[in-house]
Amino acid sequence: MALVKARKNGEATPATAAEGGDPLTWLEDADPARRRRAAHALGERPDAVPALSARLAREEDPSVRETLLTALVRTGTAAAAAALVPHLASEDVGLRNGVIESLQQMPAAVVMPEVAPLLTAGDSDLRIFAAQLIGKLPHPDRLDLLAGVIDRDPHVNVCLSAVEALMESGDPAALPVVERLGARFPDDPFVTFSVDAARRLFSGA
Amino acid sequence: MSLPSDKGDAAGLSAADYDAFCRFLRERTGLSFTEAKRYFVDRRVSERMAAVGVDHFRQYLNLLRFQASGEELQLLVNRMTVNETYFFREMYQLDCLVNAALDEVVRGREPGSRVRIWSAGCATGEEPYSIAITLLERWSRVDEFEIELYASDIDSHVLERAQEGIYEERSLQAMPRDLVAKYFTRLDDQRWQIMEELRDSIDFSLVNIADPRQMANFRGMDVIFCRNLLIYFDDLGRREATSMFYDALSPCGFICLGHSESMSRMSSLFVPRRFPDAILYQKPQS
Repeated sequence: MALVKARKNGEATPATAAEGGDPLTWLEDADPARRRRAAHALGERPDAVPALSARLAREEDPSVRETLLTALVRTGTAAAAAALVPHLASEDVGLRNGVIESLQQMPAAVVMPEVAPLLTAGDSDLRIFAAQLIGKLPHPDRLDLLAGVIDRDPHVNVCLSAVEALMESGDPAALPVVERLGARFPDDPFVTFSVDAARRLFSGA
Repeated sequence: MSLPSDKGDAAGLSAADYDAFCRFLRERTGLSFTEAKRYFVDRRVSERMAAVGVDHFRQYLNLLRFQASGEELQLLVNRMTVNETYFFREMYQLDCLVNAALDEVVRGREPGSRVRIWSAGCATGEEPYSIAITLLERWSRVDEFEIELYASDIDSHVLERAQEGIYEERSLQAMPRDLVAKYFTRLDDQRWQIMEELRDSIDFSLVNIADPRQMANFRGMDVIFCRNLLIYFDDLGRREATSMFYDALSPCGFICLGHSESMSRMSSLFVPRRFPDAILYQKPQS
């Protein structure tokens, strides 16, 4: 028979323990596997947030980057959220998407104070990311913040991102807010379309 | 303490208790339960509280936290995981394994070298035995390699049943009768036992995939079956679990998820590979 009895590693210990020392010291190792193991081990350590964040800014290996992001999410601290937010401005789409996904998986209470200020950033792309993120955070200020964007942001695409986030919330209280956008941009066909879609959604038609 | 009836109210965990319990379970096991699962959780917790004679939930939570043996936590976990499966379930992935994936795995390897396949979350054993039978029956190169089959679960009771290898007709309904006759011994009208040679060929072990120490035992895997297991985890738990599976896999190794699970919603570490029979997820070469 071609099946043979398996031979596991016996009393294996995690590589982090077997390698000894502080994982912080091998976060910059040349071997991606070792960096990944370091990041994995540091997910329980809030003091490692600056090092994880610094490595994330330079990391090019996707598997290590993913583990760095997961470690920062795992710490779940305000410092970790603050460390992730600057990467939203990255030109690297993969990193940006990973950061958005990671912030969505962190406690809303620590993410919101870091992300809400981005709603007034000079870069409209950052404001769009912020609106998207805030739309997914289970936070009591979410609807008010998105309504503020719709009422005040000068860029129609930012407003439409907020509309999309509000519509996903499913809260009928969002409808008057969305309708106000129609008054601000009466000649924009996509705004007209979005307002109509919101009316259909919230009226159940 | 009386148990709740099927139609009755929940066992009575307060919102704070329920939240504390779910956080504890998530930290220790990776299992994640939302408010929507409250009745399910309440019922199982109250059953265990009654079994150990504890009246107050906080007292029971302390038992789970501080019992040195961890026995009660294990017994509770056994009740919290559902283990309903059958032989040759989601056969398209087994087709993919023998029609394409394994040929790719062994490309360039010397005859006689090892191939490692792991069934994570194997429950009562139907999946690893189905893999074994499919390999023996349908992979043309099966005799050229030494194939190691690993199987693990977090539930100690189902692992005992897996090692025993005794199944009722319902588990075997999707299996051709000639294969049942070839690999099983009929015990009585209701039960069949899988042949000893197959039982002995699989390494069964109790593994909590949320525990890095236990996961460190698994390295150099060529294929991991992890079907319908990560549905019990929350988003972060899934990310962490897939990261540990990544470490367990050899470069270019494959991971098979359940039909309703998509790796793209868990991790960007793996490359989706579309084969004629199924989509598998592959660890990149480097």
